[in-house]
Parts: sequence; structure tokens; C-alpha cells
Amino acid sequence: MKAVGRTGRAVLSTYFGLLVLFLYAPLIVLLVFAFNSGNIPALPIKSFSTKWFSSAFSDTTLTSALLRSFLIAAVNGLAATLLGVMAAVSLARRRLALRTVVVTLILIPLVVPYIVLAVGMVVLLHQLGIATSLAAVLAGHVVISLPYSVLVILPRLRTLDASINEAAMDLGASELRAFWFVTLPLLGPALFSSFLIAFTISFDEFAIASFLAPPGSPTYPVVLYSSSRTPALLPEVIAIGSIVIVLSLALVMLAEVARRTAERRLEARAEAPPLTAG
Amino acid sequence: MLTAVTPSAYVVIVLLVPIVLIGLYSFGLITNVVGTHAAFSTSDWSDFLTGAGNPFRGRFFTSMIVTLVVSGAAVLGAYPLAYFLAFVAGRHRYTVLLLILAPFFTSYLLRVIAWQVILNNNGVINSALWQLGLRAHGHAISWLIYSKFSVALVLFYAWVPFVALPIFVVLDNLDRRLLDAAHDLGAGRLSTFLRVTLPMSLPGVAAGFVFVLIPTTGEFIAPLLVGGPSSQLFGNSIQAFFSDTPDWQYGSVLALTLVAVVLVMLALFGRFIGGDLTQPEAEGA
Repeated sequence: MKAVGRTGRAVLSTYFGLLVLFLYAPLIVLLVFAFNSGNIPALPIKSFSTKWFSSAFSDTTLTSALLRSFLIAAVNGLAATLLGVMAAVSLARRRLALRTVVVTLILIPLVVPYIVLAVGMVVLLHQLGIATSLAAVLAGHVVISLPYSVLVILPRLRTLDASINEAAMDLGASELRAFWFVTLPLLGPALFSSFLIAFTISFDEFAIASFLAPPGSPTYPVVLYSSSRTPALLPEVIAIGSIVIVLSLALVMLAEVARRTAERRLEARAEAPPLTAG
Repeated sequence: MLTAVTPSAYVVIVLLVPIVLIGLYSFGLITNVVGTHAAFSTSDWSDFLTGAGNPFRGRFFTSMIVTLVVSGAAVLGAYPLAYFLAFVAGRHRYTVLLLILAPFFTSYLLRVIAWQVILNNNGVINSALWQLGLRAHGHAISWLIYSKFSVALVLFYAWVPFVALPIFVVLDNLDRRLLDAAHDLGAGRLSTFLRVTLPMSLPGVAAGFVFVLIPTTGEFIAPLLVGGPSSQLFGNSIQAFFSDTPDWQYGSVLALTLVAVVLVMLALFGRFIGGDLTQPEAEGA
């Protein structure tokens, strides 16, 4: 028996269609009004125009914030992936002292509300007598990205055949050399995913940045927020936002294609005859 | 050894030490107010916990109710979606799942701004109603924005796709033979669903519920953009104490309360979201 009858199928399919519409409506609204010449994003739609894009790109507050966020996100991607690899390697070991403590520490950032992390870091910097800075924003972003990075890298690390590494070491490679030349290349796709996830987390992050970015050098979400409260700047926000959304969606698709390709390659390898045969 | 210590130490320094400092601030053991010296005091705690008609305690309870309602609604909204993916979508269900999850990976702030554009007093919905002649021009629907409704709607929107994920995983891995067995034993579709599928999918439902509950307890962005004065959440109070009207000691009391709430939630539901990270090796690896 099918789990769903004909009526059920119709009802569920309709619901699904409506929900997809609901999920994409805000994105569509941004895309439509990015090209609308009117000063207020409302109906009726005025004429087609790309003026908001040119005014957005000549707004140096916005463009320099974009550049800032891009750099922080890139460094965050690298740093979180590096720490993530370290954590994953230790957790993949058969024996690890205080495993529960390590696991708990690495997963804690998933459940601590960002607002608590943000005000906590404000207090920490104050106690240390350090001014808020973009480095502090980066430090916060690395800590919230770390668990995602580990959750992406560790499963991949576990699927690797430990004997490949042992073979390298039997042939005279040091542990570090074996890791660098054997394990790391095999981790490639997972490292790439980890970088992308950490990049995205940092690039969009508002709560921590709003507390820790110095007033003179706000990150892109901070500018986005303050501009969205100024009606005159809202169309620019929408224009830039529509570009960011299209790029993010493209990135999601790229990551999915990369994941599938990697999976297919793994399957192909699994089907190949073992090296010891014959 | 170094590989375990470095990331752990990092989390301790950047996350746990600050929380300890917040704890010290909340009891007045450290202060940032010039001219006062630090001394142990429970005054802010007792004001928050027992002060008659304390507005922050009131906001805390309102906030928790909003969070619970949103989490419940998100589970109700996500269940049919997960069910569709698992039982109707067929061979391409992973592609369809990606279609659902993709908006989740775009900027949260941007999507909230988009909702502001939609719900605004002269926004997309109101202006559409005026154009269609369904409402007198200039008369906006009052509860559409700057209300508890708008805050809840945006939070529901943000979390629905994500909640569908754990429910889908459970439904997709359900042993279909159990459904056949129920049918062979004379159960109809409805009673199979109510007595087999639904009970077996509850761990996924619980996981989805917690996935929304925990992050929304500290939410302050949606209320800033689409909430009004009466629909600010607990997170907004914390934010205000550390920015607009600085009082770090009181703010620390509220921040630590939020940490305590999360700990309680984890104690209650943690087992539904635990991964296999605590095991040295995944089964079958």
C-alpha cells in the first residue's frame, strides 16, 4: 500500500507549492524592487531601472563595508577550517583523553545565543582594556563557525581508510607528512564545504558585528541594518541585497554539484577492483 | 594532543571566559561604572526575579511564550512538508529538499528586511490591497507590522525549512514494511499514520522543535526590524542594556538568565539533538 492516497497526494502537493512560494516570496520581492525606479518599494511597480545598482556601488560606505565583510569572511573560512581540522583529527582518534569535554566545548557555540556571546566579548575586551575591532568580530565569527566546520569535516575523515595513512607511514612518511600528503588531499571536498559554510556565516553575521565592529568601520550587515532604517537608502539596500541573494543561491547550487561529483567519484572508486587482487 | 587542545582552548577563551565574566558582573563582583568599587551584591538578581511587576521578567515570559508558539507552529508547518518529501516527492526528493533549504542559506538579515518591505504600512501587501480597491487608500492593516504577529511570522518563516530536515530524515528512514504490516493487519491510511508513522517520527519532531527553540530564545533582530514597542523580545532587553541604556550589571543578569534557559532546554531535549560525535568511531565506519 502507498503511504499516501490520491487525495493526500493532491493536498500535500498543493501545500508544498504554497510553502515554496512563501519561502521564496521575500527573495522575489527583493529581486523585483531592485529594478523598480520608484523611491518606495510598493505597488504599483514603476518603470524598469538599474539606477539603484549604480547608486549602491557609488556609495562608499556600502562598498567599503562589503569589502571589509568579504575579507573577514575569507579569513574566517580559513581559520575556522584550520581549527575544525585540528578538532576533527583529534575526535577521529580511537583514544582521546577527556573526549566528552572536547566534544562539549566544540558544540557549545551552537547553543549559546549570539547576543550572549556578543555582550560577553564586549565585557571581555573591556576587562582586557582592548578597544572593539574587526579582529574581535573575526574572533567571534571563528567561534560560531567552528562547530559547523567540525560537523562537516569529521564524518568525511571517518570514511577515510586508516590503512592508507598507515601504508604511508610504513613507507617512511612521518605522521605529519602522511597527514599532509595523504589525508589532507582526500579531505578536499569537506574542507571546501567547511570554508564555504564558515564564509557564509561570517558574511551574514549581524549580532556579534553590531557590538564589536568599531563605529568607523562597520561590516556589511551592520551597514545593511542601519541603511534599511533610512527610507531614502532602502532601494540601495534592496539592490545590493538582490545581488548577494543571487550569489548565495548560486553558491548553494555550486556546493551541491561539488558534493555530488565527489560522491560519484567515491562510488566509482568503491566499485573498482581492490589493489590486492591478482 | 595539540590538535584537541587548540580548538578547545579557543572556545574557552572566546566563549566561556566571557560567560564567567558576565556571571561576575551580574553579582557586582566586577563593575565598569567609574567611581564605584566592585562588591558582591544580589540586588539586580532579586529585582529581576522577585521585584513586583518587574518589566523585564514580564518580557521574559512573553518572550518564552512567543518562542514556544513559533517553535510549535514551525513543527506543524514543517511536518506535512517533510511528509511530502519522504512519501510523495519520490526519486528527486534530495533535489526538492535543497530547493526548500536554499533560502535558509541566504542572509537572514536580508530576508527580514524583505519582510519589512512586504509588511510595511506602505509596503507590498498594503499597497496591493489599495491598488485592488480592497481597502481605502492610505489605510494600512494595523497588525501587519510592528506587532507580535509580524515578529512571529518572520521567525516561523526563517525556521520552517530547517525544522523539516530532522523530521524528513526520520520519515525517510522509516522501515516501509511496518506500514505494509499495519495495512495487512487491517489498518487504514489514517490509523496507520496515527498509530505507526506519527509515533515513530516523534524523535525527529522533538529535534526540529529544539532546533527552533534554542536559537529563538535570544532573538533580537526580527523585533528590531518588524517588531513594535510591545513586541520586543528578551534579547532586545539584553541588547539595550549593553548599548542604548548601558547597565552592564543588569544586562548580565538577563544574559545569564538566557544561558540558564538554554541549559534547561538542553537538559530536557538534548538527547534528541546529540550526534554521534561522542563515539570514537561512527558505526559501520
